[in-house]
Amino acid sequence: MPDIFEALPGIDVPVSGIPKGLTQMWASNAESGQPSPESEDAKAMQVNFVLHLGLNTTPDDAAKQFETVVKFARRYPSRIVVLCPRSNDEPAPEMRAKIYGECFLGRSKSDKRCVEFVMLSYSKSARPYLENQVSTALSTDLPLYYWAHRFSASGRLADYRYLLSRAKRVLIDSAISPPDALTYPWPNPETTRDLVYCRLLPIRQSVGQFLAAYPPAKIIAGLKAVNVRHDSAVAAEARVLVAWLQRRLAACGAKNDTIAFNVTPRAAEMTSSLAIDFDYGAPCPFFRWRGDLGTGHALFEADFGSGLTRLPAAVSLLSPENTLSEAMFF
Amino acid sequence: MSDSQRHPFLHGLSKHRGAPPTVVVIFGASGDLTARKLIPAVYNLGYDNLLPADFFLVGYGRKPIPDAEFRGLADEAIKEFSRRELKADVWDRIAAQTTYVAGGYDDKESFERLAQHIDAIEKKLGRDVQRLFYISTPPSVFVPIIQNLGASGLASKHRHSPQHSRVIIEKPFGKDLTSARELNEAIRSVFDENQVYRIDHYLGKETVQDLLVQRFANAIFEPLWNRNFIDSVQITVAEEVGVGSRGGYYEQSGALRDMIQNHTMQLLALTAMEPPGSLHAEAIRDEKVKVLNAIQPLTIGPAGDVARAQYAAGMVNGKAAPGYLEEEGIAAHSNTETYAALRLSINNWRWQGVPFYLRSGKRMARRVSEIAINFRRPPGTLFAGETARFDLAANTLSFQIQPDEGLSLILNTKVPGLETRTQPVKMSFRYATTFGSNTAEAYERLVLDAMVGDGTLFIRGDEAEASWKLCTPVLDYWRSVGRTGMDSYAAGSWGPASADTLVSSRGQCWRQP
Repeated sequence: MPDIFEALPGIDVPVSGIPKGLTQMWASNAESGQPSPESEDAKAMQVNFVLHLGLNTTPDDAAKQFETVVKFARRYPSRIVVLCPRSNDEPAPEMRAKIYGECFLGRSKSDKRCVEFVMLSYSKSARPYLENQVSTALSTDLPLYYWAHRFSASGRLADYRYLLSRAKRVLIDSAISPPDALTYPWPNPETTRDLVYCRLLPIRQSVGQFLAAYPPAKIIAGLKAVNVRHDSAVAAEARVLVAWLQRRLAACGAKNDTIAFNVTPRAAEMTSSLAIDFDYGAPCPFFRWRGDLGTGHALFEADFGSGLTRLPAAVSLLSPENTLSEAMFF
Repeated sequence: MSDSQRHPFLHGLSKHRGAPPTVVVIFGASGDLTARKLIPAVYNLGYDNLLPADFFLVGYGRKPIPDAEFRGLADEAIKEFSRRELKADVWDRIAAQTTYVAGGYDDKESFERLAQHIDAIEKKLGRDVQRLFYISTPPSVFVPIIQNLGASGLASKHRHSPQHSRVIIEKPFGKDLTSARELNEAIRSVFDENQVYRIDHYLGKETVQDLLVQRFANAIFEPLWNRNFIDSVQITVAEEVGVGSRGGYYEQSGALRDMIQNHTMQLLALTAMEPPGSLHAEAIRDEKVKVLNAIQPLTIGPAGDVARAQYAAGMVNGKAAPGYLEEEGIAAHSNTETYAALRLSINNWRWQGVPFYLRSGKRMARRVSEIAINFRRPPGTLFAGETARFDLAANTLSFQIQPDEGLSLILNTKVPGLETRTQPVKMSFRYATTFGSNTAEAYERLVLDAMVGDGTLFIRGDEAEASWKLCTPVLDYWRSVGRTGMDSYAAGSWGPASADTLVSSRGQCWRQP
């Protein structure tokens, strides 16, 4: 299987030569007329961001996540370190490094941001040395964010304790992680964020805004079941969405043991990607929401006793890079 | 409002993601501000998914315009003035819920038709909708609009419920203390103060909001933020443009009314106020009023605390620029100042003896707005005496509000080498470099704040009056003396000599940011 490290762009440098390599990289860029930071101002790295690719990451997936981080860095310039484990082990600990940089030109002359990426590939036997090596690539007086992509081995947490315990946020995508990943013994569990929950922000906002116009007592009175149906691509989103609805209804005063919360794959005739139904055991009251992520169209239908409201709306999931910023900063 | 006080379905969402069903009515819908700022602001809020699905836009103006034409004008405005390109699916969604009502501002029947128009939207929707009125008209019709909002029942709709009506009022809030009080009385006869949002778009700028964060979230600044460590404060709001085609308006206004009384006084209040007890709107506004009321009355007249001037012919950006009196629509013996500078003293424990210099002008060297905090020099002579070796600058913390929002700090540092030589250096933080320049414009933030009922970045009635209380005696004096004492400055310069005198008495000079 090709190495994920090879799938990422950059110039090979010795691990000891990362700082020098970065300086030379910008200098040669400038010489060849390519964008480069004219001053340290333009290298406006305000956060450290570690993307730790799991052993199960494929080269294509690695390239895709790297692209997401690049897009994120256009908005939030960061010192980015990408950690790439190697599955084939060597007897002697070995680590390889690559460096990469991009300058983003904005709309004004002062809007030029240059971002540096450091990629580290490490063998299994190099794992005990990893954190020291990473620490030299970070700006340690700035906050650290850690994205554990396809992290699947809870037993390995201790290996990364330094990074995990320093991180302001640890990001996990429960759609592609083991089911119990969120309950691993993370050093600071309160810092973990599920990217699925963050991706759902536009839907939580839209549904939340709609329902917030009704008194909580009306929403929960006589509610028998909450049904969320989904297509296969958003099964994790449906699971997280129903859990959110459960918490919000409990906050409205609902006794959740009297309400059934169901998540089911969509029926063949259903055209929407996600659907929510509040079932009151009678035609009225009712609340329905249908969202088609393909077309971006959603439809609310509700009657809580004040007449039928039928309201078209937009629906989307947050883009991957915006999901990262939502998970990190909000 | 804390999370637990909000509707359970809004818990965990930022307050800006919880706007209720809303109809925004823009009075002055065919005006310049609507096209340049308000329509693009609404569009960008939609782009960022910050509008509720049940958002409706209603334009109101004297000129009859069919709905489709109004939507077309809005479409053009977005293409020309929005910070982001027009995205059809975003605009189509808003446009589908955009309508126009024609009517006079002093015609009660027209307002009743507007009320029926909104009632019909509400009925079709099947639930209550908040009404947010944006008065973006010339000030001469503020009062009739407000009175008719009251008489038609629009102002009191859903009163005492979360969907109660709100009104945003553009500056100027009066032209002197008397008219400001009259306007406030008219407003209060129809609206409660918590329904009123007096807008000063400067308060929506990131750096202005950042001023509070820098002051109160960093332990290093607040202990120094007083007369013991600060030598003086300079607040500059400089414009490169002249009066252009707005000569008629500007003749009735002038720099003191147009800029100093509102923008620069707000910047001063945020710079000088005491720490508020909380970030609640009223806590912050209470502190702003306190500090504005603590400003000593100005000494007016020769060698006083005030300078005024008009720009004369000069050069801007390498091109000849005419003087103010040669501009279109300007009276030959105009008594209107295009530049004003004030030296203020704040009579409280924190600021006794620290001068606050405020200036604003048109046709200045460059467009720049900033707050500069000049710190006292260190005691002793360790690095003094040999000026060639010791180029010591006063530490200056400057908040650049526009353009290139950010802040910088001037520090003295050692030049590398065997000898000890010093040189001032600048540590900078720029929003554009760090977060990208495509951040929300002030109007987006402020319209959304009004929709969600957050008045923090708006001016309360008593704030406007406190500011007018200070400026009105100056205006009265200038009116009484005609052109006597009116200085001039070349277009494209940093201001008149009389303004230099204000600062030079303390051995200082104006910054040229």
